[in-house]
Amino acid sequence: MLRFSSVSKHFGKVKAVDNLSFSVNKGEIFALLGPNGAGKTTSVRMIMQIMHPDKGNIEFESSVMTSDNKVNRALLGYLPEERGLYQDVSIFKTLLYLASLRNFDKSEATKKAQMWLERFEIYDRRNEKISSLSKGNQQKVQFIASILHEPKFAILDEPFSGFDPINQELISDCIRELRDNGMTILLSAHQMQLVERIADRILMLHQGKELLSGTMQEIRNQTVADHKIVVEYSNGFDAQTLQDSANIKSFNHNEDKSVDIYMNELENLNGVLADISSAGPVSSLKTSEVNLHEIFIQSFTKEEANL
Amino acid sequence: MKNSFSIVWEVTKWEFNRYIKFMDMVKGILFLGFFMVVGGLVGSWVGSETVKNPEIAVASYGVFESESFESNALNFSDQRKTPVDSLKAHLEAGRFDAILTINSLDEAHIILPSERAWTTTLNTLLNDLRTDHKIAELDISPEIYADLSANIEITSEYIRAAKSSYVDKVVAGGSIVLVLLAVFMGLAYQFAAITGEKNQRITEQIMSAIPSQTWIDGKILGITGIGFAYVLFYGVMGIIGMLALAYFGVPFDGILGLINPLFLLIFFTLSILGVLMWNSFLAGVAATIDDPNTSQKSGLIMIPMLPVFLSFFALANPDTLPIKILGLFPLTSYAVLPARMVLTQIQWWEPIVALALLAGTAWLFRLLAGRIFTAGMLMYGKEPTMKEMWYWMKKSS
Repeated sequence: MLRFSSVSKHFGKVKAVDNLSFSVNKGEIFALLGPNGAGKTTSVRMIMQIMHPDKGNIEFESSVMTSDNKVNRALLGYLPEERGLYQDVSIFKTLLYLASLRNFDKSEATKKAQMWLERFEIYDRRNEKISSLSKGNQQKVQFIASILHEPKFAILDEPFSGFDPINQELISDCIRELRDNGMTILLSAHQMQLVERIADRILMLHQGKELLSGTMQEIRNQTVADHKIVVEYSNGFDAQTLQDSANIKSFNHNEDKSVDIYMNELENLNGVLADISSAGPVSSLKTSEVNLHEIFIQSFTKEEANL
Repeated sequence: MKNSFSIVWEVTKWEFNRYIKFMDMVKGILFLGFFMVVGGLVGSWVGSETVKNPEIAVASYGVFESESFESNALNFSDQRKTPVDSLKAHLEAGRFDAILTINSLDEAHIILPSERAWTTTLNTLLNDLRTDHKIAELDISPEIYADLSANIEITSEYIRAAKSSYVDKVVAGGSIVLVLLAVFMGLAYQFAAITGEKNQRITEQIMSAIPSQTWIDGKILGITGIGFAYVLFYGVMGIIGMLALAYFGVPFDGILGLINPLFLLIFFTLSILGVLMWNSFLAGVAATIDDPNTSQKSGLIMIPMLPVFLSFFALANPDTLPIKILGLFPLTSYAVLPARMVLTQIQWWEPIVALALLAGTAWLFRLLAGRIFTAGMLMYGKEPTMKEMWYWMKKSS
């Protein structure tokens, strides 16, 4: 759907995006992750043609191009990070206007707006001004506006921000559903547990460059460890023993006194268990997969330490 | 599939409908009418008490006859037999407004509570009485007096006489006022719309959907439409007023017949192009403003006033070379050319050149504003410098 080839963008002396390449496949949810200032929003703005790269190319699949070889904006959807709505206009008018700018047929837009507003339980308030809605409900209207016109490719920058956990689940269900119906989605978010669950592939950025990319499993393989054991010691533990272990890649002492122990391969499990027990009396033990939040934190901490 | 013109039209309709409130305009007129009626009633009551003819007690007529003291605005009372002290007591009591004593042909004295505006009328009356007395004294006939006071009659012959009526002059002045009105109406909405969209963070969403040039084109047209809608509304109100006056016998049909249709067409076209040009300029300025209350760039909004000041020079002499140039120069032609057209004779090609240059400049301003708009609308929390604005204007995309 999209190929980002050796793209760079500078703002004065700041390199926002530095020779970055990646591609987004048709029909997938592709997550763009990174700390603040990593280059996510600049990349997204370049994809949406709001900014132009200094170097490199951004190519779209022919299905979203016009006959004169320009990007057909009507087939793109966008939920920007910097977002807002006309506060003095009604919900329905806002949605129909934004759909009309994307060349979407008015009667079709009316039907779709009704369907989405009903799904988000704000259809009864369709004629109220946006300013009368809570922040969460305004976020719902913005989400609807970005996908109402049924784009082939939608970019959702921080789609979960401003929502409570229940509505975050609702939005993530909607995103998955849109993907299943054929929409390609590029997602940028800080809610790692949600991204981990819905993203097909992930790209982590750091200072405008690729840090990690691939499926969740591929990223786990590239990073700290494949598996994690969470251990609780009944009477403290000897950290040096864990640190000296050849079978343990790293460990982390948690606030709740438990210890996360990362290992590379399951083949060494017996060796790892022996090292764990030699560090102190174990009161409980469970295995777990490394989650995206841990990968994110550890990768960026390590990267910062290397600089 | 819509083309870019239909998207521009969508934006135009949106901007127009967001701000134009015809019912509010009608309500405004009704309120104005209501307050005018109330004001008229209160005014007539206050006036009946304060603007009644003053009662002037005359203690001495001097050389004049008492019968000659006649006026519609002043009432005189012959009080030659009343002692001055009594008259002063009456004045204090408010039974008289003044005590007048004429001492001689050249001197009079008046006592009154404080300064009054009607003393000017009294002065004129006494001067006329003195003149009549002098004419009689010197035995000058009315014919000789008329001859003495006659002015020299000058007939003018213009080698470049304007082919305009006084109504055309009014229409020319009206067209300049119309442009200013439409520009300043547009300005208010332009700033409200653009800075509001920046503050409400709407810009990025729209700019991902349509090219920024399409967006600004729709804005310029929609907001220009609002300016003209207000002008049209008040114009219609004016016509209704004229019809009402015509009903009472004012010959407006004769006045309208004096309008030169070609002049009207040129003035109207200049007005539309002038408003479009300045609204393009102001849209670009508005896109660079983060906070209208503190922005240093707010002063740029006074620039559209400059041509109107320059048009006053045309009233003094419309045939100087600078005025001829300003009549063609696109930033000033909308105000200076109409002034020249009604005051002197211009070359046939001047309106054509002026209109072509104005249309070209309006188009150029639109493109430059689009470039500034593209960059300025995504700049939050700070304003671009003049150097940055110049860079964007030169940049092709």
